[in-house]
Amino acid sequence: MSLKTRIDRIPRRKIPGSSIIYIPSGKYLKTATFGFSGVLADVIYIWAIQYYANTAIEDRYTHLTHVFSIISELDPAYVDPYVVGALIAVEDTRDIGLALKILDMGLAKNPGQWIFPLEAGHYAQLYLKDYALAKEYYKKTMGIPGAPPIARRLYAASAFKSNDLTTAWETWFEVFRTADDPQIRQIASNHLYEVKAALDAGLVRDAVTRFREKAGRNPAVLEELVRAGLLDRLPKDYDDGDYLYDPATGRIKTRVVPWKR
Amino acid sequence: MSAVLEITEIRKSFSTGFIPRRKDILKGISLSVGEGEIYGYLGPNGAGKTTTIKCVLGLIFPNAGKIMLFGRDHLDRRAKENLGFLPENPYFYDYLTGREFLDFYGQLFSIPRSERAAATSRLLKLVDMDRAADLPLRKYSRGMLQRIGLAQALINSPALVILDEPLGGLDPLGRKEIRDLILRLRDEGKTVFLSSHILQDIEMICDRVAIIVSGRILSQGRLSDLVSETVLFTEITVSGVAESDLAALGESLSTQAGRTLLKVCDEPNIEAVLALVRAQNGKVHSLIPRTRTLEDIFVDMVKPQ
Amino acid sequence: MTVTVIARNTFKEAVRDRVLYLLLFFAAVSILFARVLALLTVGDRVKIIEDVGLASISFFGALMAILIGTGLVYKEIEKRTIYTLLAKPIRRHEFLLGKFLGLVLTLAVLLAAMSLIFLGLVLAHTGRIEWGLLVAVVMIFFELILITAVAILFSSFSTPILSSLFALAFYLIGHFSWSLETLLKKIPAGATRTILRFLYTLLPDLENFNLKAEVVHHLPIAGAQLLYSAAYGLVYAAFILGLAIVIFRRRDFI
Repeated sequence: MSLKTRIDRIPRRKIPGSSIIYIPSGKYLKTATFGFSGVLADVIYIWAIQYYANTAIEDRYTHLTHVFSIISELDPAYVDPYVVGALIAVEDTRDIGLALKILDMGLAKNPGQWIFPLEAGHYAQLYLKDYALAKEYYKKTMGIPGAPPIARRLYAASAFKSNDLTTAWETWFEVFRTADDPQIRQIASNHLYEVKAALDAGLVRDAVTRFREKAGRNPAVLEELVRAGLLDRLPKDYDDGDYLYDPATGRIKTRVVPWKR
Repeated sequence: MSAVLEITEIRKSFSTGFIPRRKDILKGISLSVGEGEIYGYLGPNGAGKTTTIKCVLGLIFPNAGKIMLFGRDHLDRRAKENLGFLPENPYFYDYLTGREFLDFYGQLFSIPRSERAAATSRLLKLVDMDRAADLPLRKYSRGMLQRIGLAQALINSPALVILDEPLGGLDPLGRKEIRDLILRLRDEGKTVFLSSHILQDIEMICDRVAIIVSGRILSQGRLSDLVSETVLFTEITVSGVAESDLAALGESLSTQAGRTLLKVCDEPNIEAVLALVRAQNGKVHSLIPRTRTLEDIFVDMVKPQ
Repeated sequence: MTVTVIARNTFKEAVRDRVLYLLLFFAAVSILFARVLALLTVGDRVKIIEDVGLASISFFGALMAILIGTGLVYKEIEKRTIYTLLAKPIRRHEFLLGKFLGLVLTLAVLLAAMSLIFLGLVLAHTGRIEWGLLVAVVMIFFELILITAVAILFSSFSTPILSSLFALAFYLIGHFSWSLETLLKKIPAGATRTILRFLYTLLPDLENFNLKAEVVHHLPIAGAQLLYSAAYGLVYAAFILGLAIVIFRRRDFI
């Protein structure tokens, strides 16, 4: 027994990637499973979790796609591997593109699983800061029956952040209208305030630019823009209050912070 | 009296080996068993006795010939209703007890449950197996298997009982019991067909016999007809008579402790020996006339092959 | 009826066979091992348990069918118990069918026992009795009926070892033949394709009975599929048994 402990203590040099010297192609692996592909998928998945948690194997990520694609071939409807595979791609290798690819594959094989586009949206938003992409993902999520209501709110938020103000406005309005929870209604209303403020800011900015072209200076007060016919009326914020106008920059600002209304 | 079992010219050959070589086992067997008789089927090992029996039972299909049981084709299911069979070296289901085993076979004859229980008990008593009835058959000795085998052959009170070497491997007491049983079966009106190569037993109980050698029946008929009552010679054991005097009358087979065993042919010679003994004040210890036995016939038939 | 008499006796024979209990023990261990395996996974534990449980039932059920089935007829011939049996008023096909039904009955009881353990384990993990899982088990049962028929077929003329290998080959081919269909699509029309198509129709398609994935993922299963698969199994089994009867009918028991 003591011999065994001695042997165990001698560190064995790991050949890079040695744990997976040979990975069969996923597509034909199924034929070799003789009806037990589900269990095999489970076993490989469990193995993969242990494998990727093993920090001693330095190049364990080289075949990440392959391993998880095998699992999905064996059991396309198994949700966990896609989610965890994407997680590993994001957390350990910072390969967001790969994570999104895995989640796309999951959705392609399981159109009814809203978790995939939801996670994808999160990753797009948090790591890629690609709000337009996030918006698309959240939209897909919304379209799947059983998706959580937060998907719509995330959709609206990312629409706002990607400057798609019309969609943001419409969506937040829907949320506001259909919300049962007073807290959600408040949140929706805050967002609507924010969107309106952004819309109005945009309107004012354009008007000020045209004013400056004509008059060579920024208007002193907003009413000048109205009098000049560049604005229909004085813009009011969502609560029908006034904006603060700074003649130096030619921009308006909200009087209150939207969240502290 | 209609024949219970009638075999007509059956032939059977097997092709064995990697390069199939034909081996003829039965070369045209015909025999007829009448009702109520004990029929002995004799032959040396490998003559075809068991093969014939298997043909009758439908375990082997003859290449030619016909077999009729109770006037029906032997493969007819109804023919088997009145049949009982005990194979050589019987072996039965390990996992059943003796009682279960008999019950199982009883079910195959569609014997209703109440009758089955009664028949099973009766038969177990008959073959002296009551005590071991609830032991699994895997624990039975050879003799016990033979007995329970006999019981299963009788479960349906068959009109014809076929026994393949029923006396093989039994001790003298066992052999006597089986012989008595067979005689009892005949008393009950049953017909018994048994094959054996132990001649003494056949001689004791059979009414008719057939002798099969190398797939052919060389002789068949009533035992009493085959074994004539003609005395072949007489064996006399005497003492107190001078050997030289005896020499002329017969062949001295052995001389031991003053006694001479003499083989004497011809009736007058016997008288002469007896006269000698009286004259010389000797003694006659035994006088046994020897008739032609089945063994003699058998040996004569088998030898030339 | 003679067939039922033989069937009942075969059931007794199987139930008193120690191999059976050994296999049942291993099956139970295997199902309960699912619990251990489930602890290692990240995410859905119940899926692992259901997958391993169903796989165990399928695997051990097939093993039982093959190991016991291949000995059934062979033992009777080898040990010569068949001599006294066939001397009774019983037709040869009744004997084979009786053996077959006896084993099927045994397998039914065993599957029920394994299912009980399995459902119990799932109940312990989810607090629910997942009746849907039984659909997969029923289909496994039909698959086992077919495997039993094959085991009996080979048992009637071959030694248990060879028979087991043949039956195993049948099982493997059965779970492989679906891939012929994918192959067929790639090959252009012609002689090869006709031959392959013929092979594909003739070879057993045991994947028909494999509803493990559907059941575990709660996918809908068409009633028609169940009906047709069951019918396929029964018809194919009848065909195999017919073959066995034909071979057995004129056989000489030397």
